[in-house]
Amino acid sequence: METVRGAAPTYSSSAVRPGPVGLVREAVGELRSRRQLVRYLVQADLKKTGADSLLGNLWWFLDPLLQMLVYVVLVSVIFQRQQEAYPLFIFAAILPWKWFTSSVGDAITSVSSQDRLIKQVHFPKIVLPTAALAVGIANFGFGLIPLLALMLIFYPEKVSVYLLLVPVIGVVQLVFTAALGFVVAAVNVFYRDVGNISRHVLRLWFYLSPALYGPVTMAGLGEQHPELYRLMLLNPFYTLFTAYRTVIYGTETANGMSLPPSAPDWTALGIWLLVSLVLLFVATILFKRIEPTFAKVL
Amino acid sequence: MSTLRPTSQSDPLPAIEAHDVGVKYNLRLTRRNTLRHSFRNLLSRGDGERDFWALKDVSFKLVHGESLAVIGPNGAGKSTLLQLLAGIIIPSAGSVEVRGQISSLLTLGAGFDQELTGRQNILLAGAFLGIDRQDMKRRLAGIIEFADIGQFIDAPIKTYSSGMRARLGFSIATSVDPDVLLLDEVLATGDQVFRAKSKARVLEIAAAAKAVVLVTHDMTWVTEFCNRALLLERGQVVAEGDPADVVRIHQEHSERDRIARAAAIAEAHAAVPEGLAPKLKV
Repeated sequence: METVRGAAPTYSSSAVRPGPVGLVREAVGELRSRRQLVRYLVQADLKKTGADSLLGNLWWFLDPLLQMLVYVVLVSVIFQRQQEAYPLFIFAAILPWKWFTSSVGDAITSVSSQDRLIKQVHFPKIVLPTAALAVGIANFGFGLIPLLALMLIFYPEKVSVYLLLVPVIGVVQLVFTAALGFVVAAVNVFYRDVGNISRHVLRLWFYLSPALYGPVTMAGLGEQHPELYRLMLLNPFYTLFTAYRTVIYGTETANGMSLPPSAPDWTALGIWLLVSLVLLFVATILFKRIEPTFAKVL
Repeated sequence: MSTLRPTSQSDPLPAIEAHDVGVKYNLRLTRRNTLRHSFRNLLSRGDGERDFWALKDVSFKLVHGESLAVIGPNGAGKSTLLQLLAGIIIPSAGSVEVRGQISSLLTLGAGFDQELTGRQNILLAGAFLGIDRQDMKRRLAGIIEFADIGQFIDAPIKTYSSGMRARLGFSIATSVDPDVLLLDEVLATGDQVFRAKSKARVLEIAAAAKAVVLVTHDMTWVTEFCNRALLLERGQVVAEGDPADVVRIHQEHSERDRIARAAAIAEAHAAVPEGLAPKLKV
């Protein structure tokens, strides 16, 4: 399918399409040969988010900080919950969650917003959600700067070597996000409701994940609603948030205090990495399967 | 079907080969769906025409050095044919083979990123076309010179006039040294000077033994500069061959259709009582 300059390339197309493994191989090949395109798309996106506003890219530091402030006011002042170093406690979860939601949100519109181009030029559409995911990684990277600043200024006792494990946990999250991103990008071409639905699903997902509360609160909930509790343990963000919090904040204890940072639960992370890889494989096949119809439907 | 013989050239490997190509659109999917629509579609499954063949049994060959004009009434499948040749859509039946680097900015400049400058958009377009970055950088000066939009090259595309956008688009599409150039209604854009310049550019590409396929409504362009023409009607090839002959058939057909439409309207008009008759234009 690919046209490469030089050796008189041949492009041919017919109604016959490759099988599942062939589609995944094709997708990998396309992403490798179009690295430059992904890079351009990411650069363009980063430039744009900074260009229109007064504070520009500064918003990438301010956004999570202000969001954290809102939750701190809500939970410690209104609900009067006592938890040691609560701002850091929730920041460790808000930052990856913001990464997740913005990546999914960008992925949803990544294909459908390029409708004009898709009808003009033949190019592998998989670069579009991939670029959206790459933008998300860059933004998560920026978000780590205010996290570090917060820790160095207010919680120097929490700084540990375990912080270096944040990117490792990030890899698990990235694979999971990519799987979801490919699916929503493709489905949104056919059903524009995906954006609306996802907003509500993501909000519910956030409150069902231990971001504002920790495992101690969840265990308390488990006594009253055992089914809900079991379901919550199957949430990948239960594992992810707990892992991030373990390396950034430490472990929450029943009396509102905390144990110092330590290594995360590698088994749980490993299981989610495997599950996410399978999901990504399936998502790639799904995306490639319906890719040929994009130009017709858009 | 009145088929006219094309100028026969014995090239063993034509630039474009289409064998009995069909493109099917599923009418249930071609509109921007909401869940509500598809539920309704699910409920009403079975009634109504679900498939629409935008192209059917289209076969032709094009050798390097030929420029083919695709003409026909609106909705005949001309743009679908170009999209098919560009690889943007894949055939539902039959097969297409295109040999060589394809340049396919079909409606020029439509895919530009509004926030980026002209210069950045050139590089971006090159990346979308799959052209190596260094290669594209080498072509940058030539593209800018041909587009001739002055200082605007470093301004965001959103500040461009539609003419400037089309000029930049044309310049990119034709500067990437394509073996197969696909153009859709592009020669009608821009001022007289640029139009003359772009015609010269297309002729130059055709003369360099490249294949050109263009969709146009400009019949003088077809007869003067194309060495073959293909008439599409309702997704099927009605005539193919010498441009002058094909254009003549096309004009006869459109005249015939116009008269038939006028007759149908006159009939409908006569059936309605005096005074209630809607004012209809032919």
